[in-house]
Amino acid sequence: MFLLLQANTTELYSLRDLMLIAPELILTVCGCVALVMEVVLPYRKSKWTAYFALVSIGLAAASLASLYFANRDLFPLDGFYGMLRIDGFAILFKAIFLIGAALTVAVSMRYLDVEGEQHGEYYALVLFATVGMMFLACGFDLISLYISLELMALTFYVLVAFTKREKRSNEAAMKYFLLGAFSSGILLYGMSLLYGVAGSTNLGEIGRSIGVALQPSVNELGMMTSGIPLRPLILLGVIALSAGLFFKISAVPFHMWAPDAYEGAPTPVTAFLSTGSKAASFALYLRIFTEALGGLRGTALDWAPLVAIVAAITILVGNWAAVTQENSKRLLAYSSISNAGYVLLGLVAGNSYGYIGIVIYLLVYTLMNIGAFGIIISLRRRGIIGDNVNDMAGLAQKAPGMAAMMAIFMLSLGGLPATGGFIGKYFLFGGLLQRGRLEEKSWYYWLAAWAIINTVVSFYYYVRFIKVMYLGERVADDRPLALSPALRAALVVSLIGVIIIGIYPQPFIDLAQKLITPLTAGALAFR
Amino acid sequence: MINYLSLLILQGATDSRVSSAWDGIKQPDLSKFLVIAALLFIIGVMGVLVRRNIIVIFMSIELILNAANLNFIAFSRYLFNTGSPNAIAGQVFTVFIIVVAAAEAAIGLGIVIALYRNRETIWVDEIDLLKW
Amino acid sequence: MLQDNLLTILILLPTVGALALIGHGLFWKRENDYRWIALLFSVITFALSLLLLTRVGENSDAAFRFEQKTLWIGAIGSYYHLGVDGMSLWLVILTTLLVPVSILSSWNSIKKRALSFYVFMLILESAMIGVFVSLDLLIFYLFFEASLVPMFFMIGIWGGERRIYAATKFFIYTAVGSLLMLVGIIALYYIHQQQAGAGTFDYLTLLDALKSGRVVITESSAFWIFLAFAFAFCIKVPLWPLHTWLPDAHTEAPTAGSVILAGVLLKMGTYGLLRFNLGLMPEMARRFAPYFVVLAIIGIIYGALVAMVQPDVKRLVAYSSVSHMGFVVLGIFSFTEQGMQGALYQMLNHGVSTGALFLLVGMIYDRRHTRQISDFGGLATPMPWFSTFFVIASLSSIGLPFLNGFVGEFLILLGTWLSTGFSYNWVATMIAATGVIWAAVYMLWMLQRVVFGRIRHGENARLSDLNAREVGLLIPLLILMLVMGVYPRPFLSRSRESVVAVQQRVTKSTGAAGSFSVEVQENKQR
Repeated sequence: MFLLLQANTTELYSLRDLMLIAPELILTVCGCVALVMEVVLPYRKSKWTAYFALVSIGLAAASLASLYFANRDLFPLDGFYGMLRIDGFAILFKAIFLIGAALTVAVSMRYLDVEGEQHGEYYALVLFATVGMMFLACGFDLISLYISLELMALTFYVLVAFTKREKRSNEAAMKYFLLGAFSSGILLYGMSLLYGVAGSTNLGEIGRSIGVALQPSVNELGMMTSGIPLRPLILLGVIALSAGLFFKISAVPFHMWAPDAYEGAPTPVTAFLSTGSKAASFALYLRIFTEALGGLRGTALDWAPLVAIVAAITILVGNWAAVTQENSKRLLAYSSISNAGYVLLGLVAGNSYGYIGIVIYLLVYTLMNIGAFGIIISLRRRGIIGDNVNDMAGLAQKAPGMAAMMAIFMLSLGGLPATGGFIGKYFLFGGLLQRGRLEEKSWYYWLAAWAIINTVVSFYYYVRFIKVMYLGERVADDRPLALSPALRAALVVSLIGVIIIGIYPQPFIDLAQKLITPLTAGALAFR
Repeated sequence: MINYLSLLILQGATDSRVSSAWDGIKQPDLSKFLVIAALLFIIGVMGVLVRRNIIVIFMSIELILNAANLNFIAFSRYLFNTGSPNAIAGQVFTVFIIVVAAAEAAIGLGIVIALYRNRETIWVDEIDLLKW
Repeated sequence: MLQDNLLTILILLPTVGALALIGHGLFWKRENDYRWIALLFSVITFALSLLLLTRVGENSDAAFRFEQKTLWIGAIGSYYHLGVDGMSLWLVILTTLLVPVSILSSWNSIKKRALSFYVFMLILESAMIGVFVSLDLLIFYLFFEASLVPMFFMIGIWGGERRIYAATKFFIYTAVGSLLMLVGIIALYYIHQQQAGAGTFDYLTLLDALKSGRVVITESSAFWIFLAFAFAFCIKVPLWPLHTWLPDAHTEAPTAGSVILAGVLLKMGTYGLLRFNLGLMPEMARRFAPYFVVLAIIGIIYGALVAMVQPDVKRLVAYSSVSHMGFVVLGIFSFTEQGMQGALYQMLNHGVSTGALFLLVGMIYDRRHTRQISDFGGLATPMPWFSTFFVIASLSSIGLPFLNGFVGEFLILLGTWLSTGFSYNWVATMIAATGVIWAAVYMLWMLQRVVFGRIRHGENARLSDLNAREVGLLIPLLILMLVMGVYPRPFLSRSRESVVAVQQRVTKSTGAAGSFSVEVQENKQR
């Protein structure tokens, strides 16, 4: 904003700025076209919109790739007068969102047919939500971050309510909307305090101001202390921000919306909600807490213990609550809560190991979770809801391929070696141990041990799916699964991704390391 | 506009010297705005937690958003006085928040109507299909 | 070419077989071909595994052969590092031998979902070979965990009445243990990183660093890391009181599953103790030795006593495993050449004779569909072949001289007697020796009730004797029992140097924490 005032008023943005957001522009335009297509095409042809959405995601991915290869030596690039920052972090997360969006569109088509809600605006909404996520990954100003967060959240409210004749869907949307708006409000309140303390909405400037404010000798903002001691204000801001973000990533004690929203929402939306939305919220979390608040690490206002406690409770509650669930979507919702706890560990670690862990884990999580939901989607047929764990009974005889894929996704979610989930967890826990060794504080070790112990609990309910599919004699129903080529392709892609990352993770780790490094440097610069 | 108003509030009564309390009211400094915003915020949070009517909960959420708005405006004004070049950002932010809140209201009420059609209630206690 | 990549080929070949099976299942769906394909691949694997003997000759030194090392995950310094030495050589061959035997044993008894059964069997073989030949801790952990999943399915799908309970129990127990081991592995990685600059999962690098004193594990970390590893392995062994998963898993598992479980999976535990606990943390091993010896002896006696009162033949054999594996742990923690060689030998013996016992129990179960001892009696008349094999296998399990069990148990008891690692070693030897007597009691009593006497149930008189396939699959095991009992030299001489290297490391190392050796001496004086 600051730079905006100084700029030549006739030129608010340049062509270069537009190039930086080319993938988002493509998606936005295509989303609008998809809306028009819905009006023009007859109902039975509305699937064309889905293919169009897939093509546009492909175009966006291509433009993202060209953006990366053209500018990778110039990162970080600032655009729109510091409102956006394109760097490796942003590119990585955008890639994850695009993968998630493409898989979601692919698994949605047949499901919407079965539900009788095959409408083009569904795909338009998915595209708009993706745009919101992508801006979240590259936003570098509280304003742009807030707008993109709301863009994502608002489209998701609609998506969750998309099957409008379904009571559970209405109810889920209602709860999700109320708590989502509530958390946005709290987040916003935190942002306003942060703005007041730092005098800027730019994350980089906030980081600098806070760094200055926390140094007692240099009292540049000392005049602000007339009546307002800075530290309580920062503390309050950090707590409000954290609370808002904990809502978004469904961390305990702000997780109550997640099981309801996940269970009631249309299954493809649940898949997208638990992967794309969660990853985007983590991108936001990482951005704010490393770029703006990274300087607080190691000071009296260190937020790491707070995040660590929340992560520990989240892992505990998520895992133990999942054990008793009968509804598979609800079970995966609790598993998703516990996974949010694991990813938070990477933030607590706050080193390159932790960040690599976050990125790899979110990528793998996107693949395996959409895969798992894809299988649940295939169980939804006319007259059969199929979202109970026991609906999978006998899947191994009926559809051995699907059962095998589900088994691998579950084992990967549990973090068994040779699957992607293991690599992600390895880096998350490893980062924690590394940090503990660096700071010589034992609570990092205990936190890692805690997470590992609870991972064992998670085996119990992941294995339950496998048990139901393979070990029982009973077959839930003998109707064939609702499969479409797109769904199959999405499942196979997810499976291959999970296995490749599990068996040969080196290229992914290299890439993540290269692109994440500036973030690490930023986080540690204040130390 | 808001900027202008707050300018009036802050500078309009510099000459009068009635009493210190009256002074404080007429010359509100930053802390008073923050306290009011905090009160709004707390009322909003309590409303969300305590009330059971969806519409009232939604109004409470609007209170929270307005608490943030007030904060932004107050800080913006304060920064303007201290000569910070970034003072305008807070007011811009507020405009954005108002716009987004309007969109949010549209979607929220849409969901409420869809729910009401199916369930004929807007009391959260009665919306209990999804439970663990 | 073949020789250089032999270990990789051994690991991959069964998996390739599994993929071939899946492909065959997709395109032809001929049920009868599955077992042939599985048998073909496992037999080729066995034949190739014999090539290992070419480089690990008699009296060869402790170095690793057939080494392969390729970078796997560079970011965390993990290598795909394989190698075989005298210690792992026979375990690999035991694995490759038992897999075709179990495939043959399931020839007619696995009707349900045969394709999946053989696929899991072959994947399991890959994982098991991988465990014994991996020299990178992370790869080791990977195979260790990977062996869990197929076994879980084998118990869970083709098991008996309470198979789901047994499978889940098996999975959770072992997963808890191996996760703790993972923590230990990561801790070792960081200790190496802290002191030597770069972290490593490589067993040989770690061993060198520890031997040369470049890296020293502090007392408290060594304590926890040792426990983490030991916990994982002791669950797998299983050492009393962590054994409770074993009777359930064995009883419920299909015959082939029991054979593999007893023959190979349990050995992963003792192998891990020998290789990692003793090799990497010798001081701690010395410090913990008395506790392990006590637990092992409790296991020996407890297993034997509980086996005695079992009404179910298979459960009896399962508890006898607890007893036998107690001997192995006792031998390992005697820290004498005899004891440790005996332990290694006993691992092979147990694999062969308990494997044979499970096969025989499976064969009689196929005919009678019961395993209750009270349902049998006088089988010698209708089934002479079966009875002969059963008696020989039981005697080998008891440890009759000139059969393999004798050599192993004798060496272990001798080693315990000579041991200086803990006080009252003669008491330990005496008590452990009674375990042999108890074994004779429960085995002979069981034989008397099952094989001898008169026929109490009419159905037993009409039972058909073993067919050619069943005799054929038992013959190799029988020959091994005799050969290993009479002429143990080719086995022991190959493993000698590797075992001695570990033994020397345990007894000679002073390490950083010298207090441990003082403690050991105090123990001796007491």
